This record gives sequence, C-alpha cells and structure tokens, in this order.
Amino acid sequence: PCSQLTCLQQELLQALLSSGLNKHTILEALGEIEAFRAKPGESEEGDGVEPRIGEEESSEDGEEFEPPIFKELEALCPEEAAQQRAMVDHLLQEDPWHVAKVIKCYMQQHNLPQREVVDATGLNQSHLSQHLNKGTPMKNQKRAALYTWYVQKQGEITQQFTNASRGILGEEPNDEMTSKKVRRNRFKWGPASQQILFQAYERQKNPSKEEREVLVEDCNRAECIQRGVSPSQVQGLGSNLVTEVRVYNWFANRRKEEAFRHKLAMDSYSGQPAHNTPQGTGHSGHNLQASPPHGEYSREETQWSSFVIVQSPSPTGLQPSHTLMVSDSKEVTLGSLPPVSTLTALHGLSSPTAQPQTQTPGLIMASLPSIMTISPGDSSLVIGLASSQAQNVPVINTVASSLTTLQPVPFQQHLTSAHQQQVMPPFQSNMTQGSFMTSLQPAHVYNHKSELLQDIPNSLFTQTMVITETGQLGAFTNLTAVKQVRITSPTPVGQLSSSDSLQHLDSGPSVSAPSSSLVMYLTSQSIDSHPHLLSPSAFIPTQIASPTQ
Amino acid sequence: MGIIHLIIYKERGQLLPNLKASGWIEVEGRDAIYKEFLFKDFNQAFGFMTRVALQSEKMDHHPEWFNVYNKVHITLSTHDCGGLSHRDVALADFIEQVVPF
Repeated sequence: PCSQLTCLQQELLQALLSSGLNKHTILEALGEIEAFRAKPGESEEGDGVEPRIGEEESSEDGEEFEPPIFKELEALCPEEAAQQRAMVDHLLQEDPWHVAKVIKCYMQQHNLPQREVVDATGLNQSHLSQHLNKGTPMKNQKRAALYTWYVQKQGEITQQFTNASRGILGEEPNDEMTSKKVRRNRFKWGPASQQILFQAYERQKNPSKEEREVLVEDCNRAECIQRGVSPSQVQGLGSNLVTEVRVYNWFANRRKEEAFRHKLAMDSYSGQPAHNTPQGTGHSGHNLQASPPHGEYSREETQWSSFVIVQSPSPTGLQPSHTLMVSDSKEVTLGSLPPVSTLTALHGLSSPTAQPQTQTPGLIMASLPSIMTISPGDSSLVIGLASSQAQNVPVINTVASSLTTLQPVPFQQHLTSAHQQQVMPPFQSNMTQGSFMTSLQPAHVYNHKSELLQDIPNSLFTQTMVITETGQLGAFTNLTAVKQVRITSPTPVGQLSSSDSLQHLDSGPSVSAPSSSLVMYLTSQSIDSHPHLLSPSAFIPTQIASPTQ
Repeated sequence: MGIIHLIIYKERGQLLPNLKASGWIEVEGRDAIYKEFLFKDFNQAFGFMTRVALQSEKMDHHPEWFNVYNKVHITLSTHDCGGLSHRDVALADFIEQVVPF
C-alpha cells in the first residue's frame, strides 16, 4: 500500500478502480476537476450514465462509448427523463426491424438528415443507414442510443410545433451538447414542396416576388400537412422551412438546368461527337445503360439511369411514402457538367426532330418526387427524381436514397390529374427512350428486394412502364400485367439474375450487371417495329426502390 | 428505466434462496431484504460503501443503509414498485461480490 495515502484514501481509490475506471481515466478526470476548481462558478457536468440493468453488459467499454445523447437525459426533469427511458425500453423490446422502419419513416416525414442522428448518437453513419434501410443488426446499446434520440427528437419537434402555434420564437432545442454552436441542419426540399414548385415552373419559369411568396406559403403548408400538423405551425419546420430566397434559388437552378440541357441538345444536333462521361463512382449500382432506339448502339460507357421506385402500402399503417421517379433520356451525351449544384430536373426534348443518332442519353436526375406533366403536343417533360444526393450530372442519383413521404390524399389527386396529362405524343425514334412519368403509389417503400412491388395495386398498372436496373428485377414478380421489353446494350452479359417470373418479349440474352443494361417493362404496348422503343401512349410508371444506403 | 416490476412469486423461489444463503434475510412487514456487514475498520467499511455507491449510481438504484464505524447495515427494496425488484437482486449480487472476505 502506498504510504502517502491514508487507508481510507486507498480504499477509495481501490473502490474507484474496481468500479471500472482505469488509471488513465482517473488521471484525466483529476485533470478536469482541477481545471474546474480553478474556475469558480463552473457547474460540473453530471454524467448520468445509465446502462440497462437487464443487459448485464460489462460497462467498462460501454462507459467510453456513451454518446452525447445520454447526457441530455440529465438535462430533462426527472419525470420526462423517466418517461423517455420507458419509451426507449419499450422500443428495445420490439422487433428491431419494425422500429427501424418507424424511425426511417419519421425521418423522411420530417426531412431529417442522417447526419443529425450520427452527431447526436455517435453511431456510425454507414451502420445507421444499413440498419434503417436494410435491417442490419445493431447492438442493444447502440439501438438504445438511436431510440433515445428518436424519442427526444419527437419531443423536440412536438415542442417546435407547439411553440410555433403559440407564436413563441424559441430557439431550437440544442442537439449539441458541446460548446460549439448549434449547427442548423441543411435545408432540404421536401417532396410536397417540389411538387408544387414543378407545377409552378410549368406555368411560369420566372415568377415574380409576389408569386414566389405565394409559393412559399403553399410549400410550407404542404410540408406541415405532410408532417401531420396544422399549416399554421409553420415555424415548427425548423431548418426545413421554405423561404422566399430558397424558392428563388430553386427557380434559378431549374432555369440553369434547362439552359444547360438546351445547350447539350444544340451540341448533339450539330453533330458534335459526344463523349460519354463515366458514371460517378459514388453510385455504382444505380446507373443503367440503355441502348439507343435505333440500331446504333451506344458505347458501353453511355449511361442512362433511371430509377423506379415502387412502394407498397405499409401494413403497419405508417405514413405512406411516395416517391417519384423520373428519368428522361436525351439524345445527347453529357460532355460536361451542368452548372447546377443542386439536383436538376429532367426535361424532355421539346422538339421531336432531334437527331436520330443515338447518342447516349444523358440523364440528369432531379430530386423531385413529383409527377411529371406532359402537355399534349409538347413532348417536353419535367421530371423530378426522388433522389437526395445531387452529384455530377451524369451520375444518376439513387432515387431510393431518399424516399419521401406524403399524405395519401393529395397524392391521389395528383395521380389522377397527372394521369390525364399523360398522353404522350407519338415518339419519334429518338424520343423513344424518353420521358417517363412516374406516379406515386401510396405505399411504403421497403428496400428488401423481395418485398418490392408486392402490394402494388394492379389497377394502377393499366399501362405501366417500369425502368429499373436489372438488379431489381427480382422485385417485379407481381407485375403480371406487364410485358417486358428489354433494352440491352450491345454487349449483353450473363443471365438475368432474378427474372423467373418475368415475361420476356425479347428473348435476347439476359443482362446481369445492373450497370450494363436497362430493362424496361411495358404493358400492352405494341413494340413491334422497334423492339427497343417504348410506345408513347399513356402510362403510369412506377418506382422501384433501389437499396442504396 | 422503464417500468420496474416486483419479482413475481415464481421467480422468488429461484432468486432469493441464493441470497438467503449468503445471509440476506427478509424484512418483517415490508417486501425487502436486509443484511449486516462487519469490517475490520472504518476505512474498509467505507471503501466497501464507496464501491457499492458507485455501482448504485450506475444502476440508478440505491440502497437504504446505515453505517457506524465498521458496521454497515443494508436494506434493499425498490420504491417504484413497493417491493423487491430485479434491481435489488442485482445490487445484492454485486454487494456479495465486493465484500472482502
């Protein structure tokens, strides 16, 4: 025993050591305490770490891991803290995958970025993403952190909306315990707002300030409705509140996109050799290649991505999520990136006299999950893509990376209206791979391939065109009314991976690698003359979620 | 930590005999267990109490205890459910581990 310490001090030190602290931790703590003592008036932080009793986890490592989220528990009054712990406990007993779906749906509904969860919980973002989207297992302690964040966030958001309704301009509850300033989440357009904006864009590409103000109101109201709150509680939207500036920027970006597409069209029209930019590396599994409508096949590198997301109704009655997919093909290749930093919308070629030369259709996917409108006689389409990550233009973004939820009612309405407008003019050959309109199914998206498309009501599939990557083909088991047209690249490879139940119109070789071919499904369309053409009658494409995260 | 339940009757038959074998007794008139500890001196007693205290903080479950010099009397019961719960059993187990022989 050390001679410098009294027996009691030794006992105390031994007690500390046997409680799970190691020498290093004790020394660090001593340093902090001495620093605190140097500053009078500092309140020491309570470290109320509370591992679960029932889990019997050795807390030695658990202590180190404690995410900042647990510290917040101490900040609440005890009743609230106990209530929240009770809810977290309850969630921990439930089926983890079920809870993951609930949380994911909630995040989509309120447009919450994963980054926020990662910051608050200390979880690894990749692990979190996989757990939420694919059900990758997560240890109990980590799930506890996640559920704690979820429970607290619900409280925060409820508080935000309550404050909003009372007109209280409270600051956002701190979600960062450290001294650095609260980082407000990056604004993100919700699907409801984008729908409204695209419609407005169709009417008028350059709205005046008054019109923008109106749009601001409309969008915020729609976002509130999506979240299930009264439209008057707009301030509760927090960082996702739509402002006039944001609307202005959105229109400016769309105009820039259109100008860029026009420029590309001009390039193609004048016969410039198109070189294809390789797909961005960030999204390996989601780039599809399409063969040109005519006999000329594009080179391997030409890529055309489109995403189809299909949502089946959630059995648990969760908020139905709707996603729109848009893909458009232009008869131009992208030689350079368009000058937009956000997701861009797709426009069909306005003049059907574009070159029959089949260049690689470059697709610029927008993140807009709204239905495209096609004005009769004008084959231009505005298509938005429910993608969350804008990358370089040639990179088609994964639609499934963010699926947004919408209330079913507005969607149905939109669905019908869009349906009426979906009469497309006969495609010229160069437009065959053209615009696809996607509609939203009031359904919940599951990322498990086997679950996709299971519950799609066939009634909506009068004429359905589904474009997907071949890796998703396993999901098309229920599309009995769908014929399959396969558009393959000139170098088909392999066998179709999971196309057992699919009907093949084209008995060509199957394609395996998602990145090498485009598979398209058409219902009752006569595609006799051009097996690779998609006939232009009205259709309602659906979307298939591609698991990305 | 969620809802804390009393130890149901069946479980008592499994959990309590071990503790009773270690010297814990059931208190008359309330649903609790009790044990007295005797140490060599105050330091040892208080060192023991410190260990138990640190664990109690982690478990968020605190004992009723009395200490005079080298004696420590501990009563374990759960206030939220008005009787014995798993937390009491867990803490008792821990105490048994920590007591110096």
